[in-house]
Amino acid sequence: MRARRGILLAGTGLAAATLALTGCTAPADDAETLTVYVGRDEGLVGPLIEQFEEETGITVEARYAATPELTALLLEEGDRTPAEVFLSQDAGALGALADADLVAEIPSEIADLIPDGFTSQDDSWVGVTGRARVIAYDGEQLSEDEVPDTVDDLTGEEWSGEVAFAPGNASFQSFITALRVLEGEDAAAAWVEGMAANDPELTENNLASLDLVNTGQAELGLINHYYWFRQAAEVGAENMRAQLKFLPGDPGGIVNVTGAAILDGAADDEAARAFVEFLVSEQAQRYFVEETFEYPLLPGVDAPEGLPAIDTLVNPGLDLSDLDSVGESQQLLADNGLI
Amino acid sequence: MTDRVATPSPRRPWGLIAASLVAVALAAIPVVHLVVRVLSADPAELAAVFDRPRIPLLVGNSVLLAASVTVTAVALGVPSAFLLARARLRWRGAWAVLAALPLAMPSYLAAYGWLAWQPSMKGFWAAWLVLSFVSVPYVTLPVAAALRIGSTGLDDVARTLGRGPFGSFMLGTWPQIRPAVLAGALLVCLYTLSDFGGVALFRFPVLTTAIQQAYSASFSRDEAAVLAVLLVGLALLVVIGEQVARGRAARRIQAAPTAGRRRMTRLGPWTAPGLLLLALVPAVAVVVPVAVLLSRVLTAETLQAFDGANLAQAIGNTVLLSAGGAVVAVALALPIGVLAARHRGRMVRGIESSGYLALGLPGIVVGLSLVFFSLSVVPALYQTALVLAFGYGILFMPKAIGSIRSATGQVPTSLEDVSRTLGNSRARTWWSVTARLARPGIFAAALLAAVSAMKELPATLMLRPTGTDTLAVELWQRTDISAYGAAAPYAVALLLVAAVPAFLLSDARAGREATREVIAPETRAGREATREAIA
Amino acid sequence: MSRLEVRDLTVGYEGAPVLHAVDVEVPHGELLAIVGPSGCGKTTLLRTIAGLLRARSGEIRIGQRMVTTHGIHLAPEKRRIGWVPQDAALFPHLTVAENVAFGMLAGRGSARAARRAAKSDEVRRLLDLVDLAPLAHRAPGQLSGGQAQRVALARALASGPELVLLDEPFGALDPMLRADLRAAVRELLRAEGVTGILVTHDQAEALSVADRVAVMRGGEVLQLGTPEEVYRTPATPWVAGFVGDAVFLPGVLHGDEVGTAIGRLRAVPVADAAGLAPEDGADVTVLVRPEELRVVRADAASVAGGMAARPAGTAGLRGTDPGDEGPGDEGLDGIVTDVEYTGHDAMLALALADGVSLRARVTASEFVPRGTEVRVSIAGAVLAYRPET
Repeated sequence: MRARRGILLAGTGLAAATLALTGCTAPADDAETLTVYVGRDEGLVGPLIEQFEEETGITVEARYAATPELTALLLEEGDRTPAEVFLSQDAGALGALADADLVAEIPSEIADLIPDGFTSQDDSWVGVTGRARVIAYDGEQLSEDEVPDTVDDLTGEEWSGEVAFAPGNASFQSFITALRVLEGEDAAAAWVEGMAANDPELTENNLASLDLVNTGQAELGLINHYYWFRQAAEVGAENMRAQLKFLPGDPGGIVNVTGAAILDGAADDEAARAFVEFLVSEQAQRYFVEETFEYPLLPGVDAPEGLPAIDTLVNPGLDLSDLDSVGESQQLLADNGLI
Repeated sequence: MTDRVATPSPRRPWGLIAASLVAVALAAIPVVHLVVRVLSADPAELAAVFDRPRIPLLVGNSVLLAASVTVTAVALGVPSAFLLARARLRWRGAWAVLAALPLAMPSYLAAYGWLAWQPSMKGFWAAWLVLSFVSVPYVTLPVAAALRIGSTGLDDVARTLGRGPFGSFMLGTWPQIRPAVLAGALLVCLYTLSDFGGVALFRFPVLTTAIQQAYSASFSRDEAAVLAVLLVGLALLVVIGEQVARGRAARRIQAAPTAGRRRMTRLGPWTAPGLLLLALVPAVAVVVPVAVLLSRVLTAETLQAFDGANLAQAIGNTVLLSAGGAVVAVALALPIGVLAARHRGRMVRGIESSGYLALGLPGIVVGLSLVFFSLSVVPALYQTALVLAFGYGILFMPKAIGSIRSATGQVPTSLEDVSRTLGNSRARTWWSVTARLARPGIFAAALLAAVSAMKELPATLMLRPTGTDTLAVELWQRTDISAYGAAAPYAVALLLVAAVPAFLLSDARAGREATREVIAPETRAGREATREAIA
Repeated sequence: MSRLEVRDLTVGYEGAPVLHAVDVEVPHGELLAIVGPSGCGKTTLLRTIAGLLRARSGEIRIGQRMVTTHGIHLAPEKRRIGWVPQDAALFPHLTVAENVAFGMLAGRGSARAARRAAKSDEVRRLLDLVDLAPLAHRAPGQLSGGQAQRVALARALASGPELVLLDEPFGALDPMLRADLRAAVRELLRAEGVTGILVTHDQAEALSVADRVAVMRGGEVLQLGTPEEVYRTPATPWVAGFVGDAVFLPGVLHGDEVGTAIGRLRAVPVADAAGLAPEDGADVTVLVRPEELRVVRADAASVAGGMAARPAGTAGLRGTDPGDEGPGDEGLDGIVTDVEYTGHDAMLALALADGVSLRARVTASEFVPRGTEVRVSIAGAVLAYRPET
């Protein structure tokens, strides 16, 4: 009997609490609140958003999750989404949204700030930071000279079973697209075939590839440079077994961009524009340089120390968010049994 | 009594069927959403998905992993249950708690811990190891419960007929526990089919990893839907298989709560291997990963960024949301469980099976379908705690069904008959008699749903109110960027919070009671049933 | 008035009815025993009367109320019926007193209410009636089978029913206990003035405890009558064989006599269910009860043998004249092949000259050991039935 009363009390309390939770989270849709979907880590972007809030007085409701999940969410929500701005970790996601007619045009004064090749071709989104494709190599087993400076060498026998990459990852697939454009379809197909036959270590994402190199399970990993720096910040650069090699001039060294888009429903929203403008402002760009070691895309802001200059890295001038093209790259990977 | 078998059942319980259909319809939202998406997609695109050379490998791997994990979980779980319920064991209560502990461990966390210790773990064997040991409690708990109320009378008679200990176990006890074993195996199989986190960390390609890839690379929800439909198909086969296997089984054995003698076995030379088994499961599933994670804390730099208030908030959110989810899960599962316990027939079986289907789906699929559903039907509630709790309810309703079904099934219908003839309506009889006596089972169903909700990640990411994070979400956000130090407190908090329902489920008290031999006056009917069963 | 009437009741699936056109009547205050082999539908009948099963057609009337008829099926909770199932079905979460009190709650049954009502005088009275007052606070698991049945009965009576239905209530008990409990139940029902129906497969139990007996087989009621009627004048050979020991002999009917292997016997023809009596000259099946056989030592003077033959003045079997010793000199020779001695009587297995086997029941004082040569005869008339096809 006592147990039953207890359960009833708990149930009532629960209902009340749940309603309270519901209450707190009713989306307040006034001009002073901005809802942003952030496909990046809260620890990194959070402080930047706080800076924005302090400067503009606009309250930001930020929803954090991984870019693929947020993209799927936005696609599912369609035009009923409560989001007003989407900060994405890769361009493909932004392209998918653009293809689905869910984004509004970025005002030209903002879009023009970023050079071609690192932003959208139709102003559907704007690039914010850049990440170079690099080879992470096992510093204990290899010296930098032993590591190839072109991805073409990776199909060689000496690297059999030693190369880790994430075939399902958007930035890897952008790289494949770049390979097709720069070296031609046949060469790219041959490369993919060669890699598939060379006993690759397939992973779910760039971080997992880096982990394999860091623990000696693989000698080489194809990742974005930014992951190495993030890992180093956690465990200390001197404790990193993996080291980085950049590939200027090679398709394997292209720059992937992170970007932001304004969702269609917020096309005229001042707060949304202000936020996107903030992201490509010098202040925010410097923040990214210092905190995440990513390349700034705003001309005039210095790249992080020790990194090769961005214009030495090849970007083929092809819209990296072009999904059709990425779709063909995926087909190539699928045909070789990699995805 | 042949008279009873020939008796036609009373008229169809339409009220119960209607309530069950509503529950099933709600639980079927993800499947319906999938099917609609597949049907409205471009057929050429869909065909292309099936043409991919990797598809057979993915399907084969999914099946292989699910089958091997299920077999292993049963092989470990049944002896463990026997040791807990039927063997003379010291510190039985403590062993019972340890046996239930893996319930609190999410598969991705266990995989994470093991990988941190043994980075070379990859592929099938690693996934098999971690998933098997983490899901053993799904078999151990119901089988131990069945053993505690069963009797060894039939075993003893079989011994006198010349069967050895194992043979008499198979003849006497196995039929009594078979439904429990099947129910546990079903849950393990579906759980393995739908698991993403643990399997992905070991880089074993299965359908769920391919679905995730479809979302993250091509942003093609159609392709993901096709793969998910494949997965649902596999899940359907599993569910039907369990129905078939169960259907022939224990109709004859009517569970009599006070029936017969239960003899406790002395372990003798089997003591050491038995204790080893009981220690091995929690060791592999919980102790190793936790120890590794804690050791990482010492070497991490991000530990100082510890925010106690945030942790407290996350704990509160986790508890409240999972409790809400448990309430919904039990509410949905009740009509189905009662229906399945009391009635037979194809319709009942069909209803029960449909309830289980969503369990075979990865969380991201369920999450997205509920996004669509809630935006379409109750947009004002979108991204609120209510919808998330509802999502948990749908996701974990199948886990509640089994417990409710068996608890209700153990309430003899003669009690209900008596209550009705004493003047109580069907509804009042159900509340005052059946539900009252099945209360422990219903409570267990709620606990099981709650502990599952605490660990859930992908649907939570989709549906949670912006700014409301559970422990699982916080944990994931940190491990995703290798911030082990910052992740550790959340991991520990999650384990501790989830250990509470796991502890309650372990029925430690019942474990202690079982050490006293239970001898009830053996009735003539009992003896006759024994003779009949042996004949 | 709590008279029960069942008319033309059919229960079961189309084409395979479990009960077929069953008619039963129980006057107020009487106890009816429904008896039959497993699968005959007796429990189905009971459950249908209780309302736990629906009928396909037919009527059931309890007292003044029609509880089952075309288009009407009164729910069990409204029928004012007491139900005592085979396994007593005591609520395990309530004590003995609370179980009984639960019966008094009239549709508002709950554990809490039962606990409160457990202290009332009525509960105490009922527990005294069944002699279980000292055990009022025991849990059901601590009771013996007989005690549990008594609590179940008290609980059923607590609801003040018009009709009490008992489903093989003594089936699980030891024989000694059964007899005592049977008598106690009988008395209790009479004292409370409640009509009762008892289902059993034990024909001796049915005959000894009930005012009326209904014999069922295959979903039909073959005969409904007092125990004596059913035993002495069974409607069919099967009924005869079911309610007591019977020996069947083939014979040929000639008028009011029948020629059998054991001689010409006076016979009373019995019409079958369709009303057809055996024809003159036709084959018949003759029923002989073991106690009707007279067994006399072949080498001794005629001893008043056979339980059916009595000294003058006592009631004989079917019009036996006191002075008529029956075809004693015409009896057949035989030998005793087996003896079942039960203390108060003995059943002798006899082998007669032409290979006919019989069983005869004799009193203990007329006991004849194995191997003795005897002479067998029958006193009085026997029943002749049309042969069952």
